[in-house]
Amino acid sequence: MTSGPYNYSYIFKYIIIGDMGVGKSCLLHQFTDKKFMADCPHTIGVEFGTRIIEVAGQKIKLQIWDTAGQERFRAVTRSYYRGAAGALMVYDITRRSTYNHLSSWLTDTRNLTNPSTVIFLIGNKSDLDGQRDVTYEEAKQFADENGLMFVEASAKTGQNVEEAFLETAKKIYQSIQDGRLDLNAAESGVQHKPASPGRPLAAPPASRDNCTC
Amino acid sequence: MLFGPNLQRSYKYMSFASKMPSLRMDQIDLKCKNGCDYYGNPQWQGYCSKCHREQMTRQRRAEKASSNPSATLPKPEPKKPERGVKQVSHSSFSKFEEKRLRQSETSKKANLLKFSVFKKSSTEEHEHSEKRAHEFKIPAMVNEGMKRDFRTRFPALPAHVDRDSRAFVHSFIMDVIKCANVMTVDELSERVQRQYQRFMKHMDTSQHFVGVDSDTKELLMDFVEKHAMTYLHELPSVVFSPNGTDDERADRAMSERIQQLSWVGERHLECKLDRNQHACRQLVYKAISELLGMDSAASPGGKLARVRRCCRHVLALCGAPASADDLLPALIFTVLKANPPRLVSNINFVTRFCNAQRLMTGEGGYYFTNLCCAVSFIENLTAESLNMDKKEFDCYMSMPASIGGSAWAAALSLCGATREAEEQREAALRVLQDAREVQARAQALHTDALAFQEQIAKKVEDVLAKTPLEIKPRREIPRLRRSKTADASPLIDLEPIPTHNPPRSLATDTSEPPPPLLNFDVVSADNPQISRTIVENQVPTEEKDSIEDQIHETDSGEICSKTCEPPVAAQPTEPKLNILGFEVIEKPSTSVPPRNLEQTFELKQASSLELLTPSPLGFTPFDSRSIDELMTPDEFGSDSLAPGLSNINYDIDLSDLSGDNSVAEDAPKEAKDPFSPDGLKTTFDPFAPQTSAVAYKEVLDKFDEFTLTDTKPNQSFDPFDVIHRSDPFSPVLTVNMEHKPNDPFSPEQREASSILDDSDSPTSACLLPSPLQPQTSNKP
Repeated sequence: MTSGPYNYSYIFKYIIIGDMGVGKSCLLHQFTDKKFMADCPHTIGVEFGTRIIEVAGQKIKLQIWDTAGQERFRAVTRSYYRGAAGALMVYDITRRSTYNHLSSWLTDTRNLTNPSTVIFLIGNKSDLDGQRDVTYEEAKQFADENGLMFVEASAKTGQNVEEAFLETAKKIYQSIQDGRLDLNAAESGVQHKPASPGRPLAAPPASRDNCTC
Repeated sequence: MLFGPNLQRSYKYMSFASKMPSLRMDQIDLKCKNGCDYYGNPQWQGYCSKCHREQMTRQRRAEKASSNPSATLPKPEPKKPERGVKQVSHSSFSKFEEKRLRQSETSKKANLLKFSVFKKSSTEEHEHSEKRAHEFKIPAMVNEGMKRDFRTRFPALPAHVDRDSRAFVHSFIMDVIKCANVMTVDELSERVQRQYQRFMKHMDTSQHFVGVDSDTKELLMDFVEKHAMTYLHELPSVVFSPNGTDDERADRAMSERIQQLSWVGERHLECKLDRNQHACRQLVYKAISELLGMDSAASPGGKLARVRRCCRHVLALCGAPASADDLLPALIFTVLKANPPRLVSNINFVTRFCNAQRLMTGEGGYYFTNLCCAVSFIENLTAESLNMDKKEFDCYMSMPASIGGSAWAAALSLCGATREAEEQREAALRVLQDAREVQARAQALHTDALAFQEQIAKKVEDVLAKTPLEIKPRREIPRLRRSKTADASPLIDLEPIPTHNPPRSLATDTSEPPPPLLNFDVVSADNPQISRTIVENQVPTEEKDSIEDQIHETDSGEICSKTCEPPVAAQPTEPKLNILGFEVIEKPSTSVPPRNLEQTFELKQASSLELLTPSPLGFTPFDSRSIDELMTPDEFGSDSLAPGLSNINYDIDLSDLSGDNSVAEDAPKEAKDPFSPDGLKTTFDPFAPQTSAVAYKEVLDKFDEFTLTDTKPNQSFDPFDVIHRSDPFSPVLTVNMEHKPNDPFSPEQREASSILDDSDSPTSACLLPSPLQPQTSNKP
């Protein structure tokens, strides 16, 4: 009954945060459409910012919200954070300022999400290594200090993009398995979809209905 | 629709107007709560008299059987037992209702502000709504609407799913209404969210939903939310800008704020909009339309859908690489230009009462979040957030609201105008197309009609060509003529007639010198039976006797003639007739005589009628005489002629005429006559003077052939009947004709008829003279 490709048992909500112009939207589109946005004109379709992945045999629908990164909107973009299971914090390795703002983004994220929210640091535009302004080591150190996962990626080439999203999903799934994430809380950012409708909770008749004999 | 200040004002008015229901009594409020179309009465708990009585009886019954139905889902009915208790406080409620009514009548807009305060402060109001919640009954229309909607949305789902869903909506609504007055909005929101979860759980556990997949469950969830919230949304101050909140005030504040900020343009927000571009203007216009439409949607889902559509337009506005960095400023700009009515109330309504899971995920949720951000940005907008000088900002803010933003307002109103023009143009085009279609069809119809006309004309021509007009009058007139011209007794006519097979007889005659027996054989083989039958069928028995007598006579006569045959046959001048006569004479030994008799009768009769009728007189009464009269022998006989003779005549006449008419050619000719009177005349005339012996013979031959071919007299009755409708052959006519003074031929006619009458007598005229007379007739 649940073998169809579009059936999934979980929905994870991600947000992508970071300064304007670090390539948040490009990362998103690289991940969902496997395309670099500049290459082809694109408008957000019906299946907006979603992709179904598989973690440990479970199909998971990722729902990714892009956010506005401008400084002046910082105060009002808090509602984005509500109920996010994963947060991808992005900076531009060619622009130091975007790296410097990470701490404030991190503060926001920590304040506005629940403790089990997985935060992943991404240094974007790794293809522009010649213009690098922030070294890998420096960022790695920052990530380690704050308990973040970290990867340098390129939305243009697609390098490490998948990994970033998948690793985040794995971590979230793990915390579900560990019981750290309460599925019933609306803020968890995770929706569980029972694979088989009418599960044993129902009275015997239900099981009789499921019987194939 | 116009934009800019006008639009804003109109929408502000609308927002007030739509808030009015809390004050004003609508028609609906006055009507029976049950949803029947009668007016209700507060004394009857808002029901009409009938529904109230029913309600009371039901209540009493429910009190008697105080056992509550134990369903998994509470139905709306279980509330009934409580009703009796509630009635105690009923009078105060009605008093309040009256008061409210009076107030609403006197106080207009000005009181609106006060009222919201009043609502909150008044304990009486509180009581009232509490009571009201308990007495509340969901109108049947809601249920009906749900049923219909369910059927259209989920035609595949079984009925119990429908029932469950509806039952849940009912319990949901009742629950919310009950709690609305004792809970704060946040608590109520919590409760509603729990209800959604409860329904989700119910769907997961109930066996009714076993076969339903998760996507359909989501849709069912939306269905429940939609219907519950659509109804609750209509109730004033329950879920939409509810009591105890600042929503209404915030709406007004927001509206004013947006008006103040109308000067904020695309450059302040750093979005790439160009109002000079038509496409851009159009997109902004569409986005604004959708945003304005949000207020008119009743359910949170509907509002979300509007927001989603709006934001899609905004995204398209941002250009190809759409990102949140572009989306948000553009959306803020859109909100500023739209100034949607009751914006805060709408946003709060969705935030509180939309299914939280939906709001948290999905496209609608995402865009709604963006909208919330935009609104909060506008609320907290400062000089810094616009990256502009504080002084400048203050300066802008202090100027009258109507001044700023005129450029975009103009652009947008232009947009509205162009859009309207486009719509008009489209409508005009549609009309034009319709007109063209109609024209084309008319053309087609025209050509069809022409073609049809041609077709018909051709057919008519064909038919006319197939059925030439000339022949028609031929039947009797020539004979009459001939009889006249021949100046002989009618018996002369009879003589050629017996040559009902003249060609054959001729042939036999020429080919082989006629051994009489041979000839006789042929002829007898042909006809005797038929003639017999004719005689038997048609001639009354008495007449038969007489006929037979005559036959005997003829036998003798024929025998006599037989004896003197050879010389006759030897005569070269009249071979046919001789032969015929010869044949006839030979017959008497066998059954021939009757046949001969018959034939002579027929012929004679025919000739007699011809003589009588076809004379010029025949045309005048063409119209009236129906054959029916002719057909009934009794009447006919009794009326005009001596019974014996007339009957015989009649019978013979029938067979003869029928034989005449049964030929295919004749029928159309006859029928055609009335159409072309000219044809009649022409045909008639040429025959009359010309009647040369040869032509006449031809005609006669034809005629006889017909009689020959028509072997069965019974069949021939029908055509005869039809054809002679218009024929003047009725015997009555003949009687009339005699009296007609106008007739030029009348004297002759009389003679002829008289002669015919004589000849009609089978004894003398028919049989005996017939063999004799042909000679005389042919001689001239």
